[in-house]
Amino acid sequence: MTDARAAGRARIRSLYLHIPFCERRCEYCDFVSLPGRDREAEYVEALRSEVRGLAARLGRLELDTVFVGGGTPSFVDPDRLGGLLDEVRAGFVLAPGCEVTLEANPSSTSEGRAAAWLEAGFNRVSLGIQSLEPDILTFLGRVHDRERALAAVGEVRRAGFSRISCDLIYAVPGLDDTRWRSTLERVAALGPGHVSAYELTVEAGTPLHASVRRGEKPAVDPEAALRQHRIAVSVLRAAGLHQYEVSNYAQVGEECRHNLVYWRRGHYLGAGLGAHGHLPAGVGTLVDVPVPPGAIGIRYWHGRSLPAYVEGSRAGVLPIEGSEAVTAADAEAERILLGLRLAEGIAVSRPLGERADALVAAGLLWRRDGRLGATAQGQEVLDEVIRQLVT
Amino acid sequence: MPSVLRDDIRNFSIIAHIDHGKSTLADRLLEVTGTVALRDMQDQLLDTLDLERERGITIKAQAVRMEYTARDGRPYELNLIDTPGHVDFTYEVSRALAACEGAVLVVDATQGIEAQTLANVDLALEHDLEIIPVINKIDLPAADPELVRREIEEVIGLPGSGAILASARQGIGIEEVLEAVVARVPPPHGDPEAPLTALIFDAKYDAYRGVVVYVRVMDGSVRPGERIRMMATEKEFVVDEVGVFRPVMTPTDGLTTGEVGYLIASIKNVRDSKVGDTVTLADRPAAAALPGYRHVTPMVYAGIFPIDSDDVQELKEALEKLNLNDASLVWEPESSAALGFGFRCGFLGLLHMEIVQERLEREFNLALITTAPTVAYRVRLRSGEVIPVDNPERLPDPSAIDEIEEPRCTATILVPSAQVGTVMELCQERRGEFRNLEHQAGDRVALTYDLPLGEIIHDFYDQLKSRSRGYASLNYELTGFRAERLVKLDIMVGGQRVDALSMIVHRDRANLHGRKLAERLRKLIPRQLFEVPIQAAVGGKIIARETVSAMRKDVLAKCYGGDITRKRKLLEKQKEGKRRMKRVGSVEIPQEAFMAVLQMDED
Repeated sequence: MTDARAAGRARIRSLYLHIPFCERRCEYCDFVSLPGRDREAEYVEALRSEVRGLAARLGRLELDTVFVGGGTPSFVDPDRLGGLLDEVRAGFVLAPGCEVTLEANPSSTSEGRAAAWLEAGFNRVSLGIQSLEPDILTFLGRVHDRERALAAVGEVRRAGFSRISCDLIYAVPGLDDTRWRSTLERVAALGPGHVSAYELTVEAGTPLHASVRRGEKPAVDPEAALRQHRIAVSVLRAAGLHQYEVSNYAQVGEECRHNLVYWRRGHYLGAGLGAHGHLPAGVGTLVDVPVPPGAIGIRYWHGRSLPAYVEGSRAGVLPIEGSEAVTAADAEAERILLGLRLAEGIAVSRPLGERADALVAAGLLWRRDGRLGATAQGQEVLDEVIRQLVT
Repeated sequence: MPSVLRDDIRNFSIIAHIDHGKSTLADRLLEVTGTVALRDMQDQLLDTLDLERERGITIKAQAVRMEYTARDGRPYELNLIDTPGHVDFTYEVSRALAACEGAVLVVDATQGIEAQTLANVDLALEHDLEIIPVINKIDLPAADPELVRREIEEVIGLPGSGAILASARQGIGIEEVLEAVVARVPPPHGDPEAPLTALIFDAKYDAYRGVVVYVRVMDGSVRPGERIRMMATEKEFVVDEVGVFRPVMTPTDGLTTGEVGYLIASIKNVRDSKVGDTVTLADRPAAAALPGYRHVTPMVYAGIFPIDSDDVQELKEALEKLNLNDASLVWEPESSAALGFGFRCGFLGLLHMEIVQERLEREFNLALITTAPTVAYRVRLRSGEVIPVDNPERLPDPSAIDEIEEPRCTATILVPSAQVGTVMELCQERRGEFRNLEHQAGDRVALTYDLPLGEIIHDFYDQLKSRSRGYASLNYELTGFRAERLVKLDIMVGGQRVDALSMIVHRDRANLHGRKLAERLRKLIPRQLFEVPIQAAVGGKIIARETVSAMRKDVLAKCYGGDITRKRKLLEKQKEGKRRMKRVGSVEIPQEAFMAVLQMDED
């Protein structure tokens, strides 16, 4: 193995595993998810086989973070999740303090299951609460209710998890500012170390998108979105959760290290249906991804068809559907578009240029200690700020 | 009167209002006479530009020689000159008609006589042409040939009984048209022994052969090797080749009195063979040029700027190439604080402008911003000097101006009587002065107004069409200049004056214009990071104000591992969109905004 490869391998310290099953598909979800668990056993087997394949090709890499997302991973038999982590431990070395996160929904959470997750090796749970308002949960197509949501946090904690995150959604049509504030306050009172608060995004291809287009459901009110974003920042800050990314809040030290890898343009392996990965260019050929000249990195992804995934895995190939080369220019664009989402901003060494100077002068960006970041005001219109910067 | 030279030649044009079926009739004539084999036939054969076929309009004149054996058993040589069918090209039409002895007047049986029908008939009568009315599209359910026949009699004053009923699409009446041309159009007269006079009715540039000059020989003859002189431009050339259109160019030994054909003489530039000019022999020149030559001046001016300032050289080369074939397009470099370097272009009219713009974008793949069109004003300075101003930016300081004169024209509008009220309202709104109203057959009215040309080029035609439910037709003719209280209206966006949005308006209409323009711009300029004030001002005084409010929230909620590629791609696409905007100060102004003045009456 060449030095470049060895160095490249050492830079991969994160692994994402995708579980596509859900009790039912949420109205707004555009992740790969399949209702029911009919093919759970063969899928998890295929996923384990991909993990084995990665380990065989890359050698025993040391991992800092593992994230099992979905879909609804908690919906899967806890023993099978345990088997999956066994496979990860067999092929990789989990560094001391490795963050191992499981995404869970309140409806498939219980104290017993949570204990099994902890036993399996997970040490962080991200709970998809989304809302505590019945009409909003119905609008979103969620299967749980307020009581279940609140209970789930207690169950996970009692089972022994100290790192808990709660996902919430705002700007849902019908959600007024008062109810949003009270949702935030009630969730914050449960004491999670991490909260994600997302503006409802109506993605093309989702059932919600179709309903909105047909006029059956109202569209997101941009004014409400702005107000409720500001409410989230202030309520969560008061609860000791600082905003470290556009939609993410945490106590100091409780930030999601796995997600920080994405935003800091780090490398990661992705396995499972629809999963994406980001590798140093030197490593690409190890996973059978073409590396064109001029590429400094490779982003690759899996297809969204379960039969094809299972088939490919059985045939012993890595079921990667596509990839793209990341050039130095692409990387710089990514660094800006991802890094400015973070409170810490990005490192800048050269003069910024006229556009950035104007944005700093206008109070949309800040610059200090060799770093550039978005102010609270700049963050609200970050996509436009990024469009101005990336030219 | 010189003797008849060849009584087997007939030179004729087809004239019609746009869409009345002129090109289709020409196609049928070519087919029936076997000039073009059926297998080579394509629709609108004489319209050679893509744009002409697509939009169903004729821009360039064309000529074709047909051989036809008439019912009298004799073979005839029929020269058809196809003419452009739009008011922008009235002069070109008049020259094509001057090359003929007869005209086939096509009138749509469902539409009747329209404004351009009248204008074309007037032109034909001026040249003393034999007019053969053809009532076309008689196969359509809505056809009313008898009403149209009455119109021809009452409105034009031609015997309606002589009108031929036809359907060019169905091939009905085609032979009758040919027979009428033979029987009614007089053969050409002229003196083959006299010094050469040949009328240029068009010219086109061929990359391999130089300029191909379309001529009708009035007197004398011309052969290859002879030295010719263009009487207006006084340029001389040696003839390389002469020939006729069958319809492809076919060389002949010479062109003689009465014939229609082409000549090629190593002419590099169409400007040296101007439509209407007379070709004579350098060694034996004619005493006088043929009448009717006019130096064509543009009616409408606009700035054309590349969106990407790096394209300015390419734009210049594209304009030069268009000029090879279109001498009526004039341009000079212009620089705008808002739009950078570009060209001030002069056009024969709005259609001409649209065509040029479209060809630049399509044939040369350029992304352009065209500013709102304006007319050429005549500005009398206090110093006594008179200067033409075709760009609002060039208007001298008001303190130096004695008065501003604007071009006026006589507009003829034909409209169903039910809509005459709303059309008169439109003319009043546009500062028109009523001249005449005449009732015509078919419950129609011919209105005559004296109107400022500047008003006609600002969305007048579209308004006329929409207010008359599509039924009104318009023709106009420049009459002269008149002093008016005109002022410059300035637009400020984000506190910065945008020179390319300035316009010259009547003082009494300045407030209304300012308000509407500001409002329209507010709708066209997308929300930006900051609030963008839009102001309209006359002489430094703000007369209207609008605000584009700042963007509220624009940030992707989730951006995780799988979203990164998608987000970067989206960003690249949006950057492309931004390229179609022009940055003025800190504000991004979309392309359409610079044409906003044109659609102010839409709302």
